[in-house]
Parts: sequence; structure tokens; C-alpha cells
Amino acid sequence: MAGFTGLESVDDPASRDRFLTRALVAGGTLLAGGALLAGLPRLAASAQSPAQDAEIFNFALGLEHVQAAFYREAADQAELDGDLLEFARVVAEHEREHVGYLQEALGGSAAAEPETFFGAATTDPDAFAEAAITLEDLAVAAYNGQAANLTKGGLRAAATIISVDARHAAWIRAIVGRPAASQPVDQPLSRAEVEAKLDESGFLREA
Amino acid sequence: MTFRDIPDLALEDLDRDGAIREAADGLPRSSRGGFLKVVAGGIAGAAALGRPTGARAALAKGDIAILNYALTLEYLQDAFYTEAERKGALSGPPARLTEVVGAVERAHVHALRDVLGTRAVARPFFDFRGVTERPPSFVRTAVAFEDLGTAAYKGQAHLIQSPQVLAAAVGIHSVEARHAAWIRYIAGTLPAAEAFDQAKSRPETLSLVRSTRFVVARPRTKAAKKPAFTG
Amino acid sequence: MRAPGRTPLVSVAALALAAVGAASISLAIDSYGDDPTAAGIASASTRAPTLADPLDPAFDVPAPVELRTSAYESTWAPVKRAVTARSAPSRASAVVARLDRRTPEGTANIVLALARQKDAEGTLWIRVRLPVLPNNSTGWVPRSALGGYGIVSTHLVVDLGDRRAMLLRNGRVAFRAPVGVGTASFPTPRGRFYVRNKLTRYRNPFYGPIAFGTSARSATLTDWPAGGFIGIHGTNEPDLIPGRVSHGCIRLRNEAILRLAQLMPVGTPLTIRA
Repeated sequence: MAGFTGLESVDDPASRDRFLTRALVAGGTLLAGGALLAGLPRLAASAQSPAQDAEIFNFALGLEHVQAAFYREAADQAELDGDLLEFARVVAEHEREHVGYLQEALGGSAAAEPETFFGAATTDPDAFAEAAITLEDLAVAAYNGQAANLTKGGLRAAATIISVDARHAAWIRAIVGRPAASQPVDQPLSRAEVEAKLDESGFLREA
Repeated sequence: MTFRDIPDLALEDLDRDGAIREAADGLPRSSRGGFLKVVAGGIAGAAALGRPTGARAALAKGDIAILNYALTLEYLQDAFYTEAERKGALSGPPARLTEVVGAVERAHVHALRDVLGTRAVARPFFDFRGVTERPPSFVRTAVAFEDLGTAAYKGQAHLIQSPQVLAAAVGIHSVEARHAAWIRYIAGTLPAAEAFDQAKSRPETLSLVRSTRFVVARPRTKAAKKPAFTG
Repeated sequence: MRAPGRTPLVSVAALALAAVGAASISLAIDSYGDDPTAAGIASASTRAPTLADPLDPAFDVPAPVELRTSAYESTWAPVKRAVTARSAPSRASAVVARLDRRTPEGTANIVLALARQKDAEGTLWIRVRLPVLPNNSTGWVPRSALGGYGIVSTHLVVDLGDRRAMLLRNGRVAFRAPVGVGTASFPTPRGRFYVRNKLTRYRNPFYGPIAFGTSARSATLTDWPAGGFIGIHGTNEPDLIPGRVSHGCIRLRNEAILRLAQLMPVGTPLTIRA
């Protein structure tokens, strides 16, 4: 696969351990014996493959499902008004398309739609804005966190979605009068971190 | 809020008498537009900046070209917002956005120049032809720039060789998309018009940048000529 | 509605899934196919992580950089096309001067940009400091006649009484030197001007190693070839400095003009006071 040129950091013992851990955990290609560390620079974070793409997109689909359900409910209930309702309607359509796209890509192995509960977040303006900001930022961080794990084709596809979710995040902030984009970079989150945040949100209803 | 359409890459009103001719001002052909040619060719600029080479990784040639391409676009945005803020012709939400987004674009320039070190392309000279001084033109052009920046980063993501460079690039790409949505909101157009954003290729992006004619040759103010002053 | 260009990526992914019979795919199906509830997602987080954590980026982006504009900044711009400068921001107002694109030295003719105003039609005009007689003239030109803006934060102040020059940078003194100035018959003009070009690599010891052209003109040597512009330059007679010795030019000793050239960009405003 394409060369990984993050070379210098391999000489740093701390990051060497990180690379090793990742390689083991990812089940990536390890070279035999002494060539192990010398070979590590050539690895990506975890070995890219269509199968891994599928896993990543299923992970993303879980998030998209939650977003789609959230905005659909907000739009249907129509208790928000003005800019907020318009935002909910437009974004509901976008998220519906994101879900559809990922479902089609994943076919039979697509994750099922989880059961969700939003309570007042789809009717109360403040709660709605908070929830939208949380969900959109989370999606951006989730996709950005997986960028290096995706194949090139998967990355191209994901990139068309990431920026739209980022636009949503700025849009809702602009509506409620917050700085729409004050950070110079968006920080990625690992899958575990994303899932933890999603759990924290309370939007997923446990069976 | 009713949203209206903004034409793709709307440029500012050109003054009629501006008739912006290619400056036939005696500059050698190679230096005019040379900056853009250099970037398009993927070769780092010759200007040595006297900075240390990027602190961390040895960068692949292709990644250097991509980072220099990103730096080109960041230079453009930085110069645009910085001049707008200096000129002080804006007020209200566009002025606020200019302060915040300008500060971020300046940070992007610093970061890219730092990682590229002596391989960074030189900062070009810009002529914004009054766009930074006319609020409606400014807003339309800012929409075009931010949408373009987002599409440009998107177009390069899959070409980046180093996963660490990719990690940095995706973190900037989504921020540019936030900027795009914000300025579009201010402009009164849909912050996110479609469910999927399209990438733009490097040739297409540079062609659009060229078509603005904002990047110009630095005016020649030095000469190897004998003074004819009064003495 | 599906955006154009979607389909190829979708079918590639679908084909990839179909083609790969790896355990990881079965794992995916096992996880989700039989467990179509929220627990499907919850249980994923309790499985051993198979996706690697995000990498450290190749570079960090520093905190946003606030613009520190100072009261000491000046703006210059090149004259992009020959234009008439007028007394007011309107095509109907009186002509003040004609501006060419080039100086007599062949450099870009630059002007200081002082103010901005739109006319009734919405055309942007800029008030500029002019390199014409009478000295201290300003006029208005359409923005379209000017090129891109350059910014400087330096200011050269020449005191004729003290025969001293001082360069300020962001309001602080960065350079001082004694100067030779015009005699009573050929005085150095007073007022506000700017440095408009830099000449080097000429062989003429009278002017020293480097000469700067300014927008100031001799009010007495009006027949001087090339307009009688006041320059700032070195000298082959350093012992005359400080003193009233020139035909209007501001002379520095050669080591001083070389120092000044390190610090003073073209476009720097110049104030000459009595």
C-alpha cells in the first residue's frame, strides 16, 4: 500500500509503542523479528481494506441513523419555528440521504436503525440547538478520526459527507448566535470516544 | 429566512474602466503568474525562507506539493480577510466573521509554512481590486473562497501519502466547511445546499483562482538605474 | 436526490463487500444481522477495538492569530493604468494631476492611499498622495486605477533644522542619522511625502551605494530633467554632513544609507519638517 512517511516519530520510544499497539490491535501486517520496528513506518494506522471500510461505514451509519431520526422527529413535530424549523427540515433531508447512501453501500450488512429517544430535544429550541451541535460535531470528529483507516475510495466518499455535517454544525451555531467556527482545526475522536459520547447523550434507547 | 441562490464562484463587480488588462508593465513573462505555475507544477518555490525544515516528518514529494497547494489557497484567504479587516469597510456580521475566520486562516498559513520550512512557496502579492472595500462584493467572494477551499482540500485527501499529513488535512478541511456555511448564512444563502459536497481537482481550483486575477506580480519598485534626482 | 458521481463509489464498496469473504465481514454480519436493536451499537463498543485510534497530525495549527493593526501603518498601491487624479471623488470634479504607470526610473509609480469613498454610482475612489507640484498635493482616483495594496509600518522623519533623519517602526525609533539637506537657494521641500523607489547597482559615487526616490520635488529646480525629484542617497563627501549642502536631496553618509536600506521598505511615508 502507499508508503507511510511519518518516519521521525518512530524514533521516539513513546510513539513507537503506540504504533506497535495499534498494529497489534488492528491485526495489521507485522514483519518478522528484527524487521518489526523498521517495517512499522510503512504501516497505516490500521491496515486499510474494503472490509475495514465496511466496518467504518457501519459505525458511521449508526451515527447517521441517530441524526436522521433526530431531525426527522424535529421536522415532523414542527414545534420549532422559523430558522430552526427550516434548518431541521433541510438537514433531515441531508441526513436521510446520508443514511440511504451508506445503507446501499453496505447492503445486507448495514447496521439496523437503533431505537432513539430525544425527548424535548426535538421541540425545545435550546435543547434542539445543543443536540444538533453535539451530533454534528460528533459526526465530524468520528469521520475525521477514521480518515487514515479508510481506503482511498472510502475516504473520498466520507469526505463528501464530512464537510456537509461541518456545514450543519456551523449553521445551527449561526442561527443561535454562537461563533460559527472559532477553532483552527477539528479534533478527531476514536471510535470508542465517539460511542462513549453517543451513550452520554442519552439519545440511544437501550433495549 | 428565505435563502437565495448565489452563482458559483461569483466574482466581484469589475469596474468598467478597470478593464483589467494583463499588466504589460515590462515584467518578464515568467514572473507574471509564475507563482501559480509553480504551484500547479508541484515544485516548491525557490524562495528560501530561512526557516528550519518541518520539525517532524520527512515529507514525500507528493505531500509537499499538496501542502504547498493548500498553502497557496490559505495565502489567498489570509490576504483577503486581513486586507478586509485592515480596510475597515465592513461592519456587523461580515466584520465579525472577518476577524474570526481571518485569525484562523492566518494560523493555517503559519502552520503550513512551518511544516514546509524552506520548501514553502513564497507569499504572493494580491490585488483585490476593491473587493475587500465593498461589503456586498466581499461577502460574495468570501462565499466563493470558502466553498472553493473546502472542495480543494476534499479533492486532495485521497492523494495524500502520509496518514499524519492526512490527519492534519482532514482537520482543516472540516473547518473550512464551517467557514463556508457561516459566510453563506450571512450572505442569505443555504449554508449546506446539498447532502454531499463535491471535490474540486487541483487544475480546476487553480484555474478558478487564476480567473479571479487576484494574484498579481509584485510591483517593481527597485531598479538598477542611475539616480536623476536633484542631488 | 442522489448527487452525481455517487454511484461509482457505492458499487465499488458493494462489490468489495461481496468479494471479500474475510472473517471481518462475517463478524460484521453477525453483530448486526441478528441483533437489530440499539444493543447492536452498544455491544460494538464492548468488543475489542478493531479500528485504530486517530493519528497525531503531521503538524499542529497554532491558536488563531489576531490582527494587530497599528496606528503606524500606511498603505501604498501601484498605479495600474495612467489616470487623472481629481479634486473630489467624482468624474466631474477638477483635474489635479495626471498619473503615469511608471516613474522616470522605470519603476512602478506608487502612491500612498489615504482615504476611500464611493461616488453616487457606487464606484470606489481612493484619495492618494501625489508625486507632483505643488508639493503636498493629494487627489482622488478610481480604485480600479490602482493595483494591490502594500502595507508598511515605518515612517521616515527628516528634521531640516536639526539636520537629522529618524526612522520610526511601529512608532519607535529604529534608526537615526545626520543628514545633508538643501541650501537656501535649493531648499528641501517641507511636508508629507513618501519613498517611491529604490535604486541600486549604479556606479556613481556622488549618490553613494543606494538611492531612494521620493514623491517630493524641488520647487526651485523645476526645469531639472526627470522632474526634479528629491532623493535620499549616499555621498562621496561625508564631511559635509550634517549641513545645508545639497540641491534639495537628503544625503546620508554611506554607512547610514546602507543601514537605512535594511529597515525602510519602499512605500514608507516621509515627513520633512522645518
